[in-house]
Amino acid sequence: MTLASPRIVRTARAIARPAERNAMTFVDSPPAATADTPPITLAGVTKDFVTDSGDTVHAVAQVDLAIEPGEFVCIVGPSGCGKSTLMDMVAGFLPPTGGTVSVGERVVTAPGQDRGVVFQQPNLFPWMSVRHNVELGPRLRGVRARERRELAERFLTLVGLEQFMERRPYELSGGMQQRCQIARVLANDPEVILMDEPFGALDALTRERLQLELLEIWRQKRKTVIFITHSVDEAIFLGTRVLVMSARPGRVILDQPVHLAGPEAGSELRSLPEFVALRDKVSAAIYAAQNVHGATPVDH
Amino acid sequence: MSAAVATAATESGPAQGGPRGRARSWPTGLRRGAVHASVFAALMLTWWGVTAASLIDPLFLPGPAAVWQAFVDANTCHPVNETSSRIVCGAQNYFLWEHLLASLQRIAIGVSAAVAFGVLLGFLMGTMRGFGMVLEPYLNFLRALPPLGYIGLLIVWFGIGDVSKIWLLFLAAFPPITMATIAGVRGIHASRIHAVESLGASRWQVLVHVVFPSTLPGVISGVRIAVGFAWTTVVAAELNNGIPGIGGLAYVAGTQLQTPLVIACIIVIGLAAIALDSALKLLGAVAVPWYGKAKA
Ligand SMILES: Nc1ncnc2c1ncn2[C@@H]1O[C@H](COP(=O)(O)OP(=O)(O)O)[C@@H](O)[C@H]1O
Ligand SMILES: [Mg+2]
Repeated sequence: MTLASPRIVRTARAIARPAERNAMTFVDSPPAATADTPPITLAGVTKDFVTDSGDTVHAVAQVDLAIEPGEFVCIVGPSGCGKSTLMDMVAGFLPPTGGTVSVGERVVTAPGQDRGVVFQQPNLFPWMSVRHNVELGPRLRGVRARERRELAERFLTLVGLEQFMERRPYELSGGMQQRCQIARVLANDPEVILMDEPFGALDALTRERLQLELLEIWRQKRKTVIFITHSVDEAIFLGTRVLVMSARPGRVILDQPVHLAGPEAGSELRSLPEFVALRDKVSAAIYAAQNVHGATPVDH
Repeated sequence: MSAAVATAATESGPAQGGPRGRARSWPTGLRRGAVHASVFAALMLTWWGVTAASLIDPLFLPGPAAVWQAFVDANTCHPVNETSSRIVCGAQNYFLWEHLLASLQRIAIGVSAAVAFGVLLGFLMGTMRGFGMVLEPYLNFLRALPPLGYIGLLIVWFGIGDVSKIWLLFLAAFPPITMATIAGVRGIHASRIHAVESLGASRWQVLVHVVFPSTLPGVISGVRIAVGFAWTTVVAAELNNGIPGIGGLAYVAGTQLQTPLVIACIIVIGLAAIALDSALKLLGAVAVPWYGKAKA
């Protein structure tokens, strides 16, 4: 078997087949950075919007942030506080009004393959089958048909969609579409994964299942993840670090490390006293931020 | 949607159950067909009744039989009249189907050129803001003109033959295609573009893999509008030197008071237009099966 790029060879090895996956899940090793995952640095990042009526909206104000390789950073805050704006700047969709975003040594100026994005809406292309959607990233880089097919099959199996590869996206449920989107991003082997409320539109059960799947994938791959959510519970459950943003203009008002996530802990984690204490602390920070600025309450 | 499917399933299911259910459980398609058939039969019967009772001078409205005869004559070789042994073929030296084909050919050439040019222009105007802004007023101006308003100019430029007619069809057909393409390009949700850009797509790859397929449903409906418009235009344009051509035949037959042939032509023109549009609709359904099913 010959594979086109060294990066893909690494991916292919990192992704275990389902049978081996369970074994890997129970190997208790702390999240460690892989060599190809660079740090992300935000230096004095500011974003102002000028609305159609000519007003200036200060969406993000002076955010300084260093995200280490392999971290799972969750960002919470009241809605409209600038979380998506911040992520759009990291993704390269929006230029900052002030400051810089860097991934490794490079200053971000445009979207790129190194930063995979999982949107709240599945954003799959309906003119392609599920498999072709997942193959798209490798295809854009010129990976040969057979290899990208193997990649797609592997990642679709990882997210449990192996039965649906030849379907069109609109023939899948919302949760399955979201899984497919995650597979598409993983198959493209980004260095960083950016997720903007990816489970926000799903029902509670599907959401919980996808949270567990995402954790498992993250433990295997050790990619840096930035994950936006408005659920404090979700942030603490998933993250190794939780950032709380203030109401607009958004700035980071709490930077909370989380050292709960053990691979053996499933959903029971939520009833641990440490978990409850952290949740109270983060929630308090959000409410305090809102009261200062008199903003709308956080939505749950 | 599942409710609609369920309804269709019960309605088109085999007739079963009591006598009360019998009328209800007719397949929907069959029931609709029956309604159409009865309305059509009533219409024909009225036409036949009115003409058979000689309520109207046959010069103004000939009966169905005369129209059918004119249609048959226009498609075969037949004696000039009952007493003569001279044989003529078709009408105005061509069979009716040749007239129809000549008109369809003009449409095919004119609209094909319009699709190629119109889609390209639409993409350029939709993707390059400045370019689109500068050209849009001229496109709107051209679109607002009735094509027959400038046929005279085209005849001066390109002569009275087919070339001026094809130019006319091209000019009539490309603006709706361009407008539909521009609307399609501008209507693409930004997150769709962002999604493919984050996968590492170059500008060109974004166009090929996302912008083009996203625009396809709009382009196809633009082509449908353009073909309908071109069809009405070609029939009218054939008033001048339009033989062979179905519009030309209808016009010449009218000037020679061959009313049955005029009506036969009108029916053929209408049916051809409907067939053309149905074919395009089908093509659209095959080419963009996702249309209307996928969310942003
Ligand atoms: N393109 C835009 N033009 C004007 N205001 C915007 C634009 N995008 C976002 N905003 C404003 O910036 C603020 C932050 O938005 P957003 O980052 O989407 O919030 P969040 O994701 O935290 O809910 C909001 O008040 C929103 O109204
Ligand atoms: Mg948001």
